[in-house]
Amino acid sequence: MSQISRLLSLGRSIGFAVVLLVVLLAVNLILSPGRFQPGSWGALVGLAAPLIGAAIASTPVILAGRGGIDISVGPLMGFVNAMVIQVLFLKAGISSPLLLVPAALLIGALIGAANGFLATIVRIQPIVATLGTYLILTGVTLTILPAPIGPAPVWLKALAGPWSMLPLALMFIAWWLVRRTPYYDQLMAVGSDDRAAYTAGVDVTRVRFIAYVMTGIFGGCAGLMLTALIGSADPNIGPTYTLIAIAAVALGGVSLAGGRGGVAGAAIGAIDIFLLQSVLTTFNVSTFVLQIAYGAILVLAVMLTALQERLAMRGR
Amino acid sequence: MADRAAPDFRGLAIRDLVIASGASPITQAIAPGEIVGLAGLDGHGQELFLKMLAGLAPPLGGSIELALSGASRKITGFRKAVASGIAYLPRDRRANGIFPTQSVLDNFAVSTLSRDTRLGLISPAARKARYDIYREKLSIAAPRPDAPITTLSGGNQQKVLLARALALEPAILLLNDPTRGVDVATRHVLYHVFRGLAADGMGLVILSSEIEEILLLCQRVLVFRENEVAADISGDAMNTDSVISAMFGRAA
Repeated sequence: MSQISRLLSLGRSIGFAVVLLVVLLAVNLILSPGRFQPGSWGALVGLAAPLIGAAIASTPVILAGRGGIDISVGPLMGFVNAMVIQVLFLKAGISSPLLLVPAALLIGALIGAANGFLATIVRIQPIVATLGTYLILTGVTLTILPAPIGPAPVWLKALAGPWSMLPLALMFIAWWLVRRTPYYDQLMAVGSDDRAAYTAGVDVTRVRFIAYVMTGIFGGCAGLMLTALIGSADPNIGPTYTLIAIAAVALGGVSLAGGRGGVAGAAIGAIDIFLLQSVLTTFNVSTFVLQIAYGAILVLAVMLTALQERLAMRGR
Repeated sequence: MADRAAPDFRGLAIRDLVIASGASPITQAIAPGEIVGLAGLDGHGQELFLKMLAGLAPPLGGSIELALSGASRKITGFRKAVASGIAYLPRDRRANGIFPTQSVLDNFAVSTLSRDTRLGLISPAARKARYDIYREKLSIAAPRPDAPITTLSGGNQQKVLLARALALEPAILLLNDPTRGVDVATRHVLYHVFRGLAADGMGLVILSSEIEEILLLCQRVLVFRENEVAADISGDAMNTDSVISAMFGRAA
């Protein structure tokens, strides 16, 4: 009973994204059955993974509410990409996943902590604080890596091919564990109403700070997935993920006001955008039209969600 | 949020507490098992006084000390107050109390999350069991604990918030107009619960905008006027006339 109701309530909050997912999947299967054969699933997931990762990474700070957002996720992915390939792999000769993966996650955690410090302790508005980080990271990335360079370690490239599910699965498991800790309830409480959370004894600043660190760690992971996909280092790709990831999060029913939604919704939103991209590219549509389509779908989705909520409120 | 055994409450000592500049200091003691009412015209300091007891507002002078068996703790901030065993139920339920997007169960547990953990992870069964104790005690009418709290009536939302505060197992409970916007039937359930808590040795401080409620519930009432205690009335002297004349600053 409670399982079913939980599924139903999940469906309500991300309803439109799920419907869109089914429709787009069907359209894709009809248009290009070859691309969606089981044999190519690995590569397909690898292609979608950086966006899904970026959307998951953007989620915790948005859930924490009061304008919480991290627009530096994209540049962080680019920075991790440049650090891992250019500095650690090519210059320092480190190729072991046992060193490169923790290094990428650590970079993410540090950048996340810096964002968290600015947004929650110095109390700069999150969008301004992370805009600063956005610009700094973009600049630093271009300084250490003026032009694209390759290659990437073989094991890393495999993470965009046959093993592409692995990093995503690890991110989901990590989030699933977070959901079962007391921290998750505090995060949702803070996102829902921070004054009430304070009165209930929740350390609001600490909760928000940790959300930024989590976003950073997930962002580091997304940076690795990006590196796996492009199999090289490219200073210009990372920053493009920021806005599309936020679009995916909103599409997935995560309220930008905080306290509502989750990682699953964000991931579904990201898959929607990926599938939309896939449909439109089969028609050889230009990338400009692609942008228009993202925007239109996003506005439509947010409108429908708001409408749905208003109807639900009236029903009460 | 600290886990602690229910402390043996010995009283709350308020010494020379100044709640507004220029106001004369307040010295009071709240004994175990006592229900003290706070009355006054709106904005005459009674709410500020309650918030200072909760550690939510810094006093301008004086001290608040909670005496427990074997130890006494000065209240210097909200977190310290919660950790020492002071629970506060906010006034404006919608703005400061409930989390509208969260379930009844989550709303109940948010102050005491660490008590449901097994090896660091939350056990939903333990939380549900803990909630059921208070649901029974407060007769909360919530058909499904995993439904959003906004599906409950105002009175039941208030009961959930009270359950949240009681789950802290406080030594002293501070209630800021707890029956505001609550139906009559629920009020009587709450009164019954308050009396039961006092009988168990808890100290209760209740701010109420209704004099009848204070007369019905409290053994003693502090009437505030211009950020000072204008009258401390108890026993037979406590009636509508004496409280109202103190509120308006007339000699009783």
